[in-house]
Amino acid sequence: MLLPENLAEHPPTTQKCTFGCPIIDAHFGGGIPVNSVTEVVAESGCGKTQLSLQLLLSAQLPISRGGLSASSIYIHSEFPFPLRRFHSLSLSFIAARSHLFPPGHDPCDYVLVQAAHSADQLFDILSKVEALVEKSGNQFPIRLIVIDSIAALFRLDYENNSSDLKLRTYLFFKISGRLKMLAKRFQMAVMITNQVVDLVDPDGVNGLKVGNVRFLYSSGRRVCAALGMTWANCVNTRLFMSRTEEVSSGGVDESGEEIVCCKTRRRLHVVFAPHLPDSSCEFMITRDGVFGVVGEQ
Amino acid sequence: MDVGRLPISPVLKERLIKAGYSTLSSSFSPSLLARDLNISEAESNKILALASQSNVLPSSSGNNAVSRALSCSQSAWDMLHEEVVFGHITTSCAELDKILGGGISCKQLTEIGGVPGIGKTQLGIQLAVNVQIPVDYGGVEGKAIYIDTEGSFMVERTLQIVKGCIEDLSERSSMTERDFQVFQDKWQPKNFLRNIFYFRVCSYTEQVDLINNLETFISAHKDVKMVIVDSIAFHFRQDFEDLSSRTRILNGMTSNLIKIAKDSKLAVVLMNQVTAKQKEGSFQLTLALGNSWSQGCTNRVILYWNGNERYAYIDKSANLRSASAPYSVTSKGIRSSISNCKRIKMM
Repeated sequence: MLLPENLAEHPPTTQKCTFGCPIIDAHFGGGIPVNSVTEVVAESGCGKTQLSLQLLLSAQLPISRGGLSASSIYIHSEFPFPLRRFHSLSLSFIAARSHLFPPGHDPCDYVLVQAAHSADQLFDILSKVEALVEKSGNQFPIRLIVIDSIAALFRLDYENNSSDLKLRTYLFFKISGRLKMLAKRFQMAVMITNQVVDLVDPDGVNGLKVGNVRFLYSSGRRVCAALGMTWANCVNTRLFMSRTEEVSSGGVDESGEEIVCCKTRRRLHVVFAPHLPDSSCEFMITRDGVFGVVGEQ
Repeated sequence: MDVGRLPISPVLKERLIKAGYSTLSSSFSPSLLARDLNISEAESNKILALASQSNVLPSSSGNNAVSRALSCSQSAWDMLHEEVVFGHITTSCAELDKILGGGISCKQLTEIGGVPGIGKTQLGIQLAVNVQIPVDYGGVEGKAIYIDTEGSFMVERTLQIVKGCIEDLSERSSMTERDFQVFQDKWQPKNFLRNIFYFRVCSYTEQVDLINNLETFISAHKDVKMVIVDSIAFHFRQDFEDLSSRTRILNGMTSNLIKIAKDSKLAVVLMNQVTAKQKEGSFQLTLALGNSWSQGCTNRVILYWNGNERYAYIDKSANLRSASAPYSVTSKGIRSSISNCKRIKMM
């Protein structure tokens, strides 16, 4: 029989993997928690993949710096792995933090990349993770799994009829059950990205509202996370990235033409989380990665 | 004396009934009885003696037999008395307690369902903390078993809720400074954590095994007053091609939990997920796992969004009338809805 865990012996706060930016960390309890599944929902072009890439790097940071001192597995389903971008991020990452790593540490060596083109394939990969973890040894063990994105695996292959929906439900829970088991067993952090769908019926079913945020708005459209209510039951934490285009007048140039400044504002919100209150944080994407913005209202 | 109630061996009873005897009295002839049953006269004398003995005090012995046969049953009066004694476990939200008749009641199964993010886990943690409120403060001063199937239980959040609970308790009573010191020494957050038996189960086999063995665990920890399963559904929504076997396993688990609730006089709270169900072309929200399993739950509470406010609704109960009440999730845990304090609602 299972024995109860003594909560008094647990660390008072769950270990987190830092986002790689102190401002974002401050809003989200220090990063993504281990032993838990965190989902980031956003339309394309918000920065989901940028944030995932940054996590792959920050997971390698020593535990004293908010990292996990660990390698990671990156499973991509939508786009090929953005190797160039990751490489350039890793160069600036290591340049600023070379004192934290042994000489010659190349962050690219500590990321395992694998493509998955179907849900079954994803499940197969997850079945092999155990063996991989045991092989990875004590130096930089695998403690982060990133799946980018879950929606792409389910959006094509399944029809909108009841038997396919049932099969989809089984797969959702099977994948989530496996991820949570791995997370628990190896104290892993799991991050999954998900797409959004437009909400066509503005009144909708009131009960369809999920989490704190009344409506999810991105690029001026009302959206909700893809894969529906069933998938929402499979994750522990859901974060949402929104994007708004802000057009402001930038004055008049020499020839008398008005200059229009177009600025993209991005925000990361808590939709639901067992450990976080309703909160949000503006961020921007620069050459060196994803960073929170201070001094906002 | 009715044959069925005679304190004799079943073999003899069967012979009596087969021979056409339904009642016996001392006026019967022993030799006739011996012949009919094919037994010795001494034996038949014994039977008749027993029958006449029982006849001396027919009513009381009849009662005894009934109460012996139904030794596990209670009169309604006893049950009412127990309900008053064992009381309720507060949810920390006055409005919610009110519609629940004082809180989550002991000896019963309560199912709580709602969409992700509505606060099921928060309510679960709150109850695991509140069950420990000392008797002096109107609590039941028990321990909690928390069965986490989803991995949403967070120690840091529990500590926040514990601190919120301690704060509220110390505010409620007008304590002297010295009393407060004693109180703080006795009610340290660590002690609250120690009194929650936390089980993390990673598969449905583990879940079933744990619940099968729960009775043994509770008999060794008699001060457990609450069992929380968060959520009952998660592991049962994968890998069950055969729905009838799923129903069978779930029903077995429910009846186990009902027995535990009754025998150990503790409250059982089962969190459930909701799912969108296709019905006549449109999608409606219903609780997961289908209808048949939740028959065993005495009470069912649905948590839902009403605009920007969280509400709880009594969907099914044997003794509570259906009603709804707002609540909110604050940094200290489950509390009364803020807007409800500002304006009095006309219901």
